[in-house]
Amino acid sequence: MALLEVEDLRVAFGASTAVDGVSFSVDEGKVVGLVGESGCGKSVTSLAIMGLLPKGRGRRTREPVQAAAAEPVDSGLKVAASAPQAVAASGGRGRRGGADVQGRAAFDGTDLLSLSPAAMRRRRGKDLAMVFQDPLSSLNPVVPIGRQITEVLERHRGLKGDKASKEAASLLDRVGIPDPLRRLKEYPHQLSGGMRQRVLIAIAVACAPRLLIADEPTTALDVTIQAQILELLKDLVETEGTALLMITHDLGVVAGICDEVNVLYSGRVVESAPVRELFRKPTHPYTVGLLGSIPRLDLPIHEPLTPIRGSIADVIRWRDGCAFAPRCDKVAAPCVDGEPALVGAVHAHRCVMAEEVA
Amino acid sequence: MSPEQTEPHVPAQRTEEPDLSGAATTPAASPLLEVEDLKVHFPIRRGIVVERTVGHVQAVDGVGLSIDAGGTYGLVGESGCGKTTFGRAVLRLEEPTAGRVRLGGDEVTALKGERLRRFRSKMQMVFQDPLGSLNPRHNVDMLLSEPLKVHGVGSKAERRKLAVETLDAVGLPKSVLERFPHEFSGGQRQRLGIARALMLRPDLIVCDEPVSALDVSIQAQVMNLLDELQDEFGLTYLVIAHDLAVVRHLSDRVGVMYLGKLVEEADSETIYENPRHPYTKALLSAVPQPDPEVEATRERIILKGDLPSPANPPSGCRFRTRCPWAEDICAEVEPEWREAASGHKVACHFDL
Ligand SMILES: Nc1ncnc2c1ncn2[C@@H]1O[C@H](COP(=O)(O)OP(=O)(O)OP(=O)(O)O)[C@@H](O)[C@H]1O
Ligand SMILES: Nc1ncnc2c1ncn2[C@@H]1O[C@H](COP(=O)(O)OP(=O)(O)O)[C@@H](O)[C@H]1O
Ligand code: SF4
Ligand code: SF4
Ligand SMILES: [Mg+2]
Ligand SMILES: [Mg+2]
Repeated sequence: MALLEVEDLRVAFGASTAVDGVSFSVDEGKVVGLVGESGCGKSVTSLAIMGLLPKGRGRRTREPVQAAAAEPVDSGLKVAASAPQAVAASGGRGRRGGADVQGRAAFDGTDLLSLSPAAMRRRRGKDLAMVFQDPLSSLNPVVPIGRQITEVLERHRGLKGDKASKEAASLLDRVGIPDPLRRLKEYPHQLSGGMRQRVLIAIAVACAPRLLIADEPTTALDVTIQAQILELLKDLVETEGTALLMITHDLGVVAGICDEVNVLYSGRVVESAPVRELFRKPTHPYTVGLLGSIPRLDLPIHEPLTPIRGSIADVIRWRDGCAFAPRCDKVAAPCVDGEPALVGAVHAHRCVMAEEVA
Repeated sequence: MSPEQTEPHVPAQRTEEPDLSGAATTPAASPLLEVEDLKVHFPIRRGIVVERTVGHVQAVDGVGLSIDAGGTYGLVGESGCGKTTFGRAVLRLEEPTAGRVRLGGDEVTALKGERLRRFRSKMQMVFQDPLGSLNPRHNVDMLLSEPLKVHGVGSKAERRKLAVETLDAVGLPKSVLERFPHEFSGGQRQRLGIARALMLRPDLIVCDEPVSALDVSIQAQVMNLLDELQDEFGLTYLVIAHDLAVVRHLSDRVGVMYLGKLVEEADSETIYENPRHPYTKALLSAVPQPDPEVEATRERIILKGDLPSPANPPSGCRFRTRCPWAEDICAEVEPEWREAASGHKVACHFDL
């Protein structure tokens, strides 16, 4: 049994569906990727699994950083408080109204989606943890980073005082931050973007979670720093057997770190395969289009790019046909005749025109 | 109104010089932009009652380069190395601390007042964040006409005609004229940003991270568009980006910047195939390739640490604190900017 099994996950905000029946699983010691363009539902999927989506109607969907800072220092809460910002930043634009979440996300057999908020809070940070794209808004700006780490250690591992500080320093050391004792006393703004991301990873791995969700963890970083962070994540997976759900739009990152890949389009998985399979035999026209859109250092210079036409705004509803049809070069009559199904097991695709694969 | 004010500037470089040598297949290009030893230092001020300058951020610290008419020069480097500041100083959007900028032989750095304002129409900028660079309360018609109005170009009808032509060139229909920036997708906004830069038919466009805010499939559309427009309008580009694959794709010459200085410069092909500077090697080795087979065997040079502060750069070679090949001399002597091979410049003490 996989450590995380997501089955038919659906998330709607009012009348709009953000995630539309997504299923995948993540094994211990494996890296599974969720890939796709902005707005396809990557972040909403991960926030749903973490129980960080605003629930019910009329609740606040956004909490300013200041409000979180005024609360007693609690990194667990801080993560919870900052998540809606991540939602807002990811395209929600602070719209009010909660998310309607359906389906299953079984973690080691327990459905996370049916846990109470309190039970979920106890697991967050301990069993499963998350790293966000924007490290600055995920850290509390007025609390030294040392305290933000020791808080988690105290909360989930019962470490206090000197012991906690020592452990915090060793965590910083482990994520490659030089001079950790000095850095512990510093505030987030005193660190570079790469260092902040490493601090977040240090916090995320402080309690040796069995599942780590990383939402575009290197998108805001330079390539040399990205390389450091990716090495760090790979090392975690290899040495600790952590399961990693890697969310990214970068196919290079996917090729470098993932074992399995799910390509998302408009809230649905359109292709899923083991990583080598996917790159060797991309089958869905969207995947093919993505690969044709990126300039590559390993191909002859000035090789023409073959972009996908239009934009993600050009969609039709899945129930009317293939949502990708308005942008697809292979579109034909069957494509707009009802829902295309995901076919295949190991290498699956959702395209009525593609030939059967694996 | 003088004639050059009544119509947009037509770059002289559009008609190519006949090739007299007979040997080369392309005519010997003359530089459109020449930059010499450009410096931009920002004062760091402290003090509440009396502000005093306690130091300088050496954002750009002696960068020289030239771009052939019709060519594309790609400037790469990590965040904070001074790329944007360099681009802005070239356009005189930032006052250079020292150095010279010439465009088509005219000294931009010496221009003042009205002459500078008029000269600006020859050089435009395309920004990373298309939304932030467009006034949200102006519709597309106003956004596109504004640069012409500022430069007193054409009548209202003429401006509109030019706007429609330019929209067509960037692949947007005439019907968008009445719409507002927030009604467009990221890719469409970037097309608008490019259209706006094109309205004065400039010679040089500085593209600062033109695709980094866009989705992968849209990035490719915009890169192809930049290519097409270059031919159509005879443009010269300075492309600033942190994505090495994007820069390689767009540029014919590439300069790598580190902490306010160029560390290497060569033809696009050469620099990617045969990087000589340790920093360039590390940068290239850090780019993940969209191919698992390549990724499994790719050799990486993982650099330690971060970019040092440009307010207090390391002595000698600025890269020495992260350079895997650094030796004692690197802390003491600044490496000179030398031609290691024909057309291939590098600032390193060693031939690596
Ligand atoms: N107006 C300013 N006042 C003071 N310092 C500045 C100013 N503008 C830029 N700097 C500093 O100058 C250096 C170079 O900045 P610049 O924006 O040119 O970098 P960049 O290479 O474009 O980075 P990025 O890739 O992040 O856009 C940085 O250290 C920056 O903080
Ligand atoms: N809080 C919210 N309220 C309403 N819609 C939202 C909210 N958060 C996200 N969405 C919408 O859900 C869709 C998926 O968003 P997201 O998962 O953030 O995309 P991405 O794949 O870029 O991470 C988008 O259309 C987005 O606008
Ligand atoms: S189902 Fe049709 S429209 Fe959709 S991806 Fe396949 S060929 Fe294209
Ligand atoms: S001069 Fe020295 S420190 Fe600088 S790049 Fe060359 S070897 Fe490295
Ligand atoms: Mg997202
Ligand atoms: Mg910049």
